[in-house]
Amino acid sequence: MKLNKKVVILAAVCAAIFVSAAAVCFFLFSRPCGRLVRITSAGETVAVIDLASAENYTFEVTCAEGVNKIKIEDGTICVSEADCPDKTCVKMGRLGGGMPIVCLPHRLVIEFISSDTDAVAG
Amino acid sequence: MDVKKITRLGLLTAVALIMFVIELQIPNPVPVPGVKLGLANIVTVYAVFRFRGSDVFIMVLTRLLLGALLSGTTVSFLFSLCGSLLCLAGMLPLSRAVSERYIWLCSIAGAVLHNIGQMTAAVAVMQTFSVLVYLPPLLVSGCIAGAFTGICAQLIVKRVKK
Repeated sequence: MKLNKKVVILAAVCAAIFVSAAAVCFFLFSRPCGRLVRITSAGETVAVIDLASAENYTFEVTCAEGVNKIKIEDGTICVSEADCPDKTCVKMGRLGGGMPIVCLPHRLVIEFISSDTDAVAG
Repeated sequence: MDVKKITRLGLLTAVALIMFVIELQIPNPVPVPGVKLGLANIVTVYAVFRFRGSDVFIMVLTRLLLGALLSGTTVSFLFSLCGSLLCLAGMLPLSRAVSERYIWLCSIAGAVLHNIGQMTAAVAVMQTFSVLVYLPPLLVSGCIAGAFTGICAQLIVKRVKK
């Protein structure tokens, strides 16, 4: 069986993408949590919250498509309720260091920001 | 386009739609937005290897439009549209260069391109680059899902006569 050169290249490219993506994933998931959290809705910053000093409370972010209820509890933040169709934002649970919480249908992003780079006063 | 071809394409669209709707009912085990098995893509990959590029294009577009009507989210339609266009743009020439024994490889490449297209749309819609951190996990899942749908499509291509 003689392997086609194009197939070998294709296989190598696919394998390289898979391995590098997995490596970046590993790196991303091991990132520590930050302190400042930025909430963005439809590209606009809605709030910047300091989790270390924030009290426990729940608030709503409303957009044209619907509502997300965001809960801050003991220095963690999560989406507790949402009326989007997939509910991925709720299932993602508490915000961790690696992945921001996003609600694609509502164009909502909750992410850690490092205070020295692009902190926007909310 | 002759009647036989229109019928076959229509039938494939219907099959893809059914798979799409069935997949909607399965709850997503991974809480990462955009991660999906993409069962309907089995049909797409099959069509890429059995039909002309323009035919596949029309079929996928129809499926996406009808799928969006059934699932009811405009945003996800935009994501899958960008993903599918990029996927087809890469997979059609690839399928002509690679023999039918390597359909699964072709499908992985298609899935990766689909993810990149999706992500481009996501950055444009969300107006923030922070969603880009989802690209690596998406690519990992895309490679696995692409291999799965590719293997399925390869079995079908082998068994269904031209």
